[in-house]
Amino acid sequence: MALDPSPPHARPHRVVGKRLPRVDARQRVTGEAIYPADLALPGMVHAKLLRSPLAHARILGIDTRRARALPGVLAVVTAADFPELPVGEMIPMGETGYDMWMVAAINMARDKVHWVGQPVAAVAALDVHTATAALALIEVSYAPLPVVPDIVTAIAADAPVLHDHVFTKGVEPRPRAPSNVCSRVLIARGDAPAALATAAERAQITVSVDTAHQGYLEPQVVVAQVDANGFATVWASTQGQFTAELMIARMLGLPAAKLRVVPLEVGGGFGGKIAIHGEAVAVRLAQMCRRPVKLVFSREEVLQGGSGPAAGALIEVGVAAAADGRLVAIEGCYRMDAGGLPGLSPSLLMQASAALYQCPNLKLEGFDVVTNKPRTEAYRGPGGIQAAFAMEQAIDALCQRLGIDPLEFRKRNASVTGSLMPIGTPFPAIGLSTILDRVHQHSCWSDPVGVGAYPRGRGLALGYWRGTSMTSAAHITIAGDGRPMVTIGTVDLSGTRSTMAQVVAEEFGVPVEEIHIQTGDSKSVGYSDGAAGSRVARTMTAALVEACADALRQLRMRAAEKLQLPSEALDYADGAFRARQPGGAAISLAELMQASLTEGAVVGRGVSSKLPLGVEIGAHVCDVEVDTDTGLVTVLRYTAFQDVGLALNPAAVEGQIEGSVVQGLGWALLEGFDYGADGRLRNASLLDYRMPTALDVPRIDSVIVETPVPNVPYGVRGVGEVPIVPPAAAVANAIARAIGVRVCRMPMTPERVLGAIRGARGRAA
Amino acid sequence: MREFVYVAPPSIAEALIELSGDNARPLAGGTDLLPQLREGRRHADRVVDLKRIGELTTVRRLPQGGVEIGAAASATAVARHEAIAADYPAIAASARLLGSVQVQNRASIGGNVCNAAPSADVVPALMCHQATARVASGDGWREIGLEDFFTGPGKTVLKPGELLLSLALAPAPQRSATTYLRFTPRREMDIAIAGVAVRIDLAADHTIALTRIALAAVGPTPLRAPSAEAILRGHRLDREVAAAAAAAAANDARAISDTRASADYRRALTEVLTRRGIAACARSLNLTWDGP
Amino acid sequence: MKVLVSCRVNGEQHSVLVDPRDTLLELLRERIGLTGTKEGCGNGNCGTCTVLFDGMPVNACLVLALEAPGHEVLTIEGVARGPELDPIQRALVEVGGTQCGFCTPGIVLSAKALLAANPAPSELDIRQAIAGNLCRCTGYNKVVDAIAAAAQATRKRLDHGA
Repeated sequence: MALDPSPPHARPHRVVGKRLPRVDARQRVTGEAIYPADLALPGMVHAKLLRSPLAHARILGIDTRRARALPGVLAVVTAADFPELPVGEMIPMGETGYDMWMVAAINMARDKVHWVGQPVAAVAALDVHTATAALALIEVSYAPLPVVPDIVTAIAADAPVLHDHVFTKGVEPRPRAPSNVCSRVLIARGDAPAALATAAERAQITVSVDTAHQGYLEPQVVVAQVDANGFATVWASTQGQFTAELMIARMLGLPAAKLRVVPLEVGGGFGGKIAIHGEAVAVRLAQMCRRPVKLVFSREEVLQGGSGPAAGALIEVGVAAAADGRLVAIEGCYRMDAGGLPGLSPSLLMQASAALYQCPNLKLEGFDVVTNKPRTEAYRGPGGIQAAFAMEQAIDALCQRLGIDPLEFRKRNASVTGSLMPIGTPFPAIGLSTILDRVHQHSCWSDPVGVGAYPRGRGLALGYWRGTSMTSAAHITIAGDGRPMVTIGTVDLSGTRSTMAQVVAEEFGVPVEEIHIQTGDSKSVGYSDGAAGSRVARTMTAALVEACADALRQLRMRAAEKLQLPSEALDYADGAFRARQPGGAAISLAELMQASLTEGAVVGRGVSSKLPLGVEIGAHVCDVEVDTDTGLVTVLRYTAFQDVGLALNPAAVEGQIEGSVVQGLGWALLEGFDYGADGRLRNASLLDYRMPTALDVPRIDSVIVETPVPNVPYGVRGVGEVPIVPPAAAVANAIARAIGVRVCRMPMTPERVLGAIRGARGRAA
Repeated sequence: MREFVYVAPPSIAEALIELSGDNARPLAGGTDLLPQLREGRRHADRVVDLKRIGELTTVRRLPQGGVEIGAAASATAVARHEAIAADYPAIAASARLLGSVQVQNRASIGGNVCNAAPSADVVPALMCHQATARVASGDGWREIGLEDFFTGPGKTVLKPGELLLSLALAPAPQRSATTYLRFTPRREMDIAIAGVAVRIDLAADHTIALTRIALAAVGPTPLRAPSAEAILRGHRLDREVAAAAAAAAANDARAISDTRASADYRRALTEVLTRRGIAACARSLNLTWDGP
Repeated sequence: MKVLVSCRVNGEQHSVLVDPRDTLLELLRERIGLTGTKEGCGNGNCGTCTVLFDGMPVNACLVLALEAPGHEVLTIEGVARGPELDPIQRALVEVGGTQCGFCTPGIVLSAKALLAANPAPSELDIRQAIAGNLCRCTGYNKVVDAIAAAAQATRKRLDHGA
């Protein structure tokens, strides 16, 4: 292909890398942006879900007759209205994908309920009040089963087993009895136990982490409509219109050709809106009552089992070093609380916690455990913050024992380009050393921590997240006026349309205002995986670079024809083709398209798959003050250093870092689900599930480092996930430095911090 | 939510008639009532909005001294009122702690009292100022000391058909200081895990002539801390006395454990907040005080 | 049973039928079609549905529709003057103070009430004024920066007598 001799990313960028406003910002600040809850279709009726009041029970029968008889009720469904799906039908997503029997169970329980809030029936009625009244008329008869409320109970030898068909994966020989331990993962090299036993210095820590919620402000909402041909349209708040389409189709036994998922604006997802929650149920109700159906979750439903929160954890870590401060062993045991159905593989979080250290002896063992709590979902770098809370505290404790500065220790042991990841493959270019140098030079590290009314301390923690790539598709149609019209197959969670408009503007050499960009629905653009795993900006950039090249190649041929020159004799820049010789002819894209409109459309297509990973690395420094009378921790200062490869839009990058850190601080200090022994959530409101307000967090300072990823357009790395990984450990390390006490329960609520202080005093006495 | 009829009578007399029917509930700010109705924790067939009644939404100085706070006056209106801000700063401060700015702009002081949450932030400071609840019904009027107003979580001495009209505060004392401190894990939009109001009035010889200590969120109702008060009364204020009173306040607490905190933690906070509250009073009375 | 209610929203008079159980939020979103005001929790614990009620921020989910008559309601739809954004909106766009956007309308209105009462707020004033508005995306940095920038822009414009 005869393209511009200097590829765009080799010359200074004109649009990429600029701090530009989001293309959709005006709609958002004026209230014009449309979320599914804002839709009202003619004749639309309203659905409500009946949810299980019990955490573990067999469903003996469901009698819906009285509900059906209520005036205004149009349809009632239970699991009997959906095909029963076998175990093992996978929907692609992430490492392992989603098993459809689980997706179905999340949306409608069959035979058994495994958590409080699991749906057991649904009603469509003329209005919400009637639908709600009808729920009370549905009679479900349950045979209660013993509740398994936590990991410790679940792994006990005599524990009631949640799923008769779940046998521990990753154990040889294959177990003969079903288990609440769904999978086991082992990552090992060298001999960690032996190295730990003989090392000069070691530190061990056991932490427990409460289940927490992604906390998106927009509850799940879906609107579904079925036309006279049986074609269904679903307007959803989803992280992936294609994933949702596959899930809805399978759950209904409907050909995907009969279904379209239209992703509207998403009021936050953070991992919690990858799986469907009610979409298929709304379609089934719409099929039955032949009217559009709207299903809106209340906040209490979102929290009390209606959506998947993030996994709680029980993690033990031991680390050991030689007297010179060389790390010689890491041993970790990670037990993750998946909730009522098997969860994510613990592999990624295990790798994350150890990846940033060169260490000859490694033994990481992870378990995915089911309990009678809502089935968990991903939450921003899933498992990363839990694992780092253990590992980075253990490393910090080791530094204290060795008498080595924690930054110096990291410098001595940091992974560098080419060092081995936990799974044994070498790291591509990474900028950890640069990050640590920047920390060293920064005032957040060199300024004195200061004196306040209470003890203060400074903590350091690292974070790693691998992210994923999967596939993204886009197409660019050149409008009659020569402007690129871009359709991408991924939804916009983090300003994707804006950064991708910048990429296309850069590639075409035109102002960003000339780019029209939209997210396509599942019938208007090629298959793309969901917006998750810090993959969208990287992979969509690659897809769009390809789509731009494809469109420009077609335009070049047309231009050559119009200018009657060989295509190799043309240069392309700033929206026009020019003959290379001085004073030669030129034609702009607008002129070209106007002159050739009737010769057919110009459509460039681009697909990204198997893109090299853009691993995310960060280091966080935080200062805290600890009120030793009440246990209240105040975060005084917070600085996040991160290697982002290349910042497509620094404001967007900072926004991701700032938001992600504050989510991490929320879980670190305030947020945790409080389940009773009966499996019922006791704090199912935004009053008692305390997400940070503007007064609970300091200004977050971001320091961006750019180490481009080789062989990736623009060298972009993932951004959004890793900043949530270090905050809890950074705060815990700062607390330990302030008051000499390690807090091992997360969230580190004031009560728990005071408990740790008093426990330490008790031990000292 | 069950269906109800909404009425907004223009006078107390008409409000009392509306409230005399079965299952009628007064509505002031609605910040407690509406979530309770929605979640089915309370039911109403008739909702009687009080905000069209001028007397119930105003704050006024009483001719004989003291201030009367209309039961439906919003927390913001009360906190901003000149008489409250000048003479009862602890009440103003506690009104600014309710919920969020948005909640304070709706929530009423009377509602915070009648909802009878043990954690009600405005109640301890009101108790310190010897607030009296003025209550009316179709049968007449009565006055109830705020300490005798609560009978349990969410429960008061009000009988069906009775309406809280106002809270009357005793005249603002001289050589006196009152503070309200509460503890919440979150800085805003949270419910007190423990709250302590402390009032200290000094005699001419700098001994404590009168003291009131009232506790929130550490019992089935807002409570006085009598043994803590007894330790302070008649003494000069110093660290030791303050520490002893704080320890006594923790003993006076009748805390329970729930999702927000354990009873032990609540007692510990009661001690800390009492000590800090006494110290704050000492500072505002310009007493020499070497800090808690 | 439906009841007729007349109310003023963004300077316009509306007469609509409501259920007595409807909140101001439902009145705005479902009866008048002003969907810019969002529902995040329905219980006054997130501030997402903040509107100005006689100039004061309130949670629309905690006000009955029938309480609206006689009061002036301002929603996000009434903040910009035609195509001209309010300085707060403009600053949020320029600074990057809106991400998912779900909390943004409520934050704009809380900020508007703040700047009306206090044209030169400190960072703490700003954080206090929006502490009743949860935001899960931004970490608040750029929201606070935008409100400060809007205050400054407004002061400048007033200084120049514009």
